[in-house]
Amino acid sequence: MNTFASRFSSTSAGAELSKAKAIAMEDDDFSDASWGSEAGYGSLAKGVPTFSIPSVADPTAFLRLHTDDSSDPNCRIKIQHGTTTLAFRFKGGVIVAVDSRATAGSYVASGTVKKVIEINPYLLGTMAGGAADCQYWETYLGIHCRLHELRNRERISVSAASKYLSNLVYGYKGMGLSMGTMICGWDKTGPAIFYVDSDGTRLKGDLFSVGSGSTFAYGVLDQGYHWDLSDEEAQELGRRSIYAAGHRDAFSGNTCNLYHVKEDGWKFIGNYDVSKMHYEGPGDVPGSAGVAYGYDIRVEGRSSADS
Amino acid sequence: MSRSYDRALTVFSPDGHLFQVEYALEAVKKGTCAVGVRGADVVVLGVEKKSILQLQDPRTVRKVVMLDDHICFAFAGLTADGRVLIDKARVECQSHRLTVEDPVTVEYITRHIAGIQQRYTQSGGVRPFGISTLIVGFDPYDTKPRLYQTEPSGIYSAWKANAIGRSSKTVREFLEKNHRDDLTREEAIKLTVKSLLEVVQTGAKNIEISVMESYGKITHLDLTQIEAIVAEIEREKEAEAERKRSRLAATAAGQAAMTQRAGDAGPSQ
Amino acid sequence: METSFALTGKGYVIIASDTTAARSIVKMKIDEDKVKALGPHLLMAHSGEPGDTLQFAEYVERNIRLYNIRHNYSLSPSAAASWVRRSLAESLRSRHPYSVNLLLGGYDVPAKEPHLYWIDYLGTMSEVPFGAHGYGSYFALSLLDRYHNPDASLEEGIATLKRCIDEVAKRLIVSPSKYTVKVVDKDGVREIEV
Repeated sequence: MNTFASRFSSTSAGAELSKAKAIAMEDDDFSDASWGSEAGYGSLAKGVPTFSIPSVADPTAFLRLHTDDSSDPNCRIKIQHGTTTLAFRFKGGVIVAVDSRATAGSYVASGTVKKVIEINPYLLGTMAGGAADCQYWETYLGIHCRLHELRNRERISVSAASKYLSNLVYGYKGMGLSMGTMICGWDKTGPAIFYVDSDGTRLKGDLFSVGSGSTFAYGVLDQGYHWDLSDEEAQELGRRSIYAAGHRDAFSGNTCNLYHVKEDGWKFIGNYDVSKMHYEGPGDVPGSAGVAYGYDIRVEGRSSADS
Repeated sequence: MSRSYDRALTVFSPDGHLFQVEYALEAVKKGTCAVGVRGADVVVLGVEKKSILQLQDPRTVRKVVMLDDHICFAFAGLTADGRVLIDKARVECQSHRLTVEDPVTVEYITRHIAGIQQRYTQSGGVRPFGISTLIVGFDPYDTKPRLYQTEPSGIYSAWKANAIGRSSKTVREFLEKNHRDDLTREEAIKLTVKSLLEVVQTGAKNIEISVMESYGKITHLDLTQIEAIVAEIEREKEAEAERKRSRLAATAAGQAAMTQRAGDAGPSQ
Repeated sequence: METSFALTGKGYVIIASDTTAARSIVKMKIDEDKVKALGPHLLMAHSGEPGDTLQFAEYVERNIRLYNIRHNYSLSPSAAASWVRRSLAESLRSRHPYSVNLLLGGYDVPAKEPHLYWIDYLGTMSEVPFGAHGYGSYFALSLLDRYHNPDASLEEGIATLKRCIDEVAKRLIVSPSKYTVKVVDKDGVREIEV
C-alpha cells in the first residue's frame, strides 16, 4: 500500500537531484547519505539539494491520504470520489439528481458544485470522480454532439453520444482519468441512460447511481422505484435519494440539484438544501408531502416500547 | 505546355477544368448502365449485365452488392475501381456500427463514398475513381426508400429515379417521362426493367434486378422472374403497337372513305 | 463474481454467462448480456477487465460481420477462433493489451459439427468439450469432468449446465444470481431460459 509514497519520494528525489545539480554545478560531490538528514531543511543551505515533503508529523500518511495509489499508481493527486449522483428512467422521462459537495480528502472544498453538466438542451451528463476530467470531457463531448448534428442533420442519439465518450476515455485507459458519469437524454428511441466510466465500461440501464454515496442512494431509490411513477413522485424520489446519501455519506451533501428530461429536452427543477430537507423537508414543491426527511423528525412521538 | 493539364496530376486547366475528372466521367459513360427507381415504399436497383463468356463463372461477376444489411450499391464504370470503393464503404459501415452503435444512414454512407471519391481528385499521385455509383436503401428506424448517386468528382445527390453509365441520358429521359411518386412494388420493378430495355437490346438475360422493400429486406429477382416481366412489357408494347396500327388503319380507312366519298361526289357534281 | 460456462453436446454448444456488471461492491447492472452472437452460428462469452471486454467483443463482432459481407459466407468456428486468438495474442504485446477471457462456441454447418474453444487473455486457445472462466470454473470443471457427455441431448446438456449453476450458487460466496444461456446448433443461435 505504501508503494506510492516510497516511489514518489525516490523518483522525486532523483528529479530534484538532477535539478539541484544543474543549479549548483560545483557541488556535485555529496553523498546520498546527506539526503535523509537534510530533507526538508536542505534549501536553507545554498547549493545543498533537497526535495519537498509535506510539513506534517507523518508525511507518508499524509501522502497516502491525498494520493490515490491503490486505484492508479501513476496518479499523483487524490481525485474527489466523494459524490452522490443518480439518474433513472421512468414513463415520464429521466430524472437526474446530484449532490453538490466537493471534497479533497477530508476537506470540504466546496458546497455549491454543479455536478450536472448540461451537454446540450437534450443531453445531461453527471459528474463523479475527477471534476476536471468530467467537466472537460463532457464539454468536449458537447462539441462533438453539435458537430454530429450539423453533419447528419439530426440530433445525436444518447447511445451514440455515450459511446463516443466511452471510446474516448477508453483511449486514455490506465493514464489516470477518473470519471463515473451517466449520460442521460431523450432521443428517437425515447428516454435513455448510459453509465460510462473511465475503465471504459458503458452500460445501458434504467437506474444508476454513482459515487461514494451511491449505496445510500440505491437504498432509497431501489425501494421507491417503479416504471409508472408520476413526474412528481419521480422528482421526489430523486430528491429523497440524494438526501439519504447526503445524510449518511460524509463525502456527499450540502444541496441537491434536480433535473427532469422529457421529450422536449431537460429542465432544471430545483436546488434543495440537504439540512433543510432533513429538518423541514424540501418545502412546497410538487411531489413532496411537506414533511421533513430526517429520521428523528419523521418518527417523532412514536415509540417501540410496550405500553 | 497546355498539354500537361490533362496528364497525371489532377490540376486545373486555365479555364477551370479538371481533365482527369472529366475523363473519369467518360469511363463511366463507357460502363454498363445502372438504374435506380424509388417507389412509394420500395426502391429498385437494375443493372445491365455484360454477357459472360461461355466458360466464365457468373457468380464472380457482381455489379450489385450489399454494403450492409440495409444498403445496396451499384456502379457504372471501371469494375476494379468499384471493388476498391465497395471495400472501403463496407469497412465504414461496420466501423460506424462499432462507434455509433447504429447502422449507417443511406446519406451517411453516400457522403462517405463521395468523400473518398473527392479525395482522389485532390491528392498527388492518384487518379480519380472511374465510377459513378447508385446507392439505395432504408435508414434505420425509417420507412422511406432512399436513392443516391455519386460521381467521380465527389458530387452526391438524392434522386427519385436515375440512371448512370452507358446511354444514361436516354434512360433518364425515359424515367423523367414515366416516373411517378406513388409507384407500387410491381410498377417500380416494371419501370426499371422498361427503362433498362431502352439500352439493353438482348433482354432479360442481361438484366439484374434487386428490390429493397424495407429495412434489410432485399430480394434479387431471378432470371425467370425478369423474363416474365420482359415478356409482359413486350406484350404491352405489342398491344400498344397493335392498337396504334389499328388506329392508324382506322384513320387511314376513314380518310380513304372520305376521299372516296369526295371522289364519288366529285363526278356527280 | 464473473463466471461463464460452456459445454458441447450432440450437435450443439451451450454457453452461459452471469449477467452482473459490478463496480467495487455495487452491482451496477443485473441484466447485462455477456454472450454475443457473432454470426448466424457463432457465440462468444466474454469476461475480464471492465471496458476491455465489451470493446474487444464488439471489435471481433464487427470484423466477423465484415468478413461475412465481403465474402458472402461466414467464417467457420475454428477460423473465427483462430482469428480471435491471434488478435488477443497481438494485443498482448501492445502498449495496452486487452484483458479478456473468452469462450467461443459455434456450429460448423458444412461439417455438421459443434465446436467450442476456450481462450484466455494471454492468447491461449484450446478446443475443449466444455470450459469455464472465472471463479465458477473451480467448481464447474471437476463437475463437468464427472458429468459431461459428448452425445447428450440438448435437455441433458441443459441439465448438466444447471448442475454447474447450482453448484456455484451453493459454494461460491457472492455467486451470480442470473445467467444468460444461449445455444447454437444447426438452426442457429437462440437464447433459452434455465
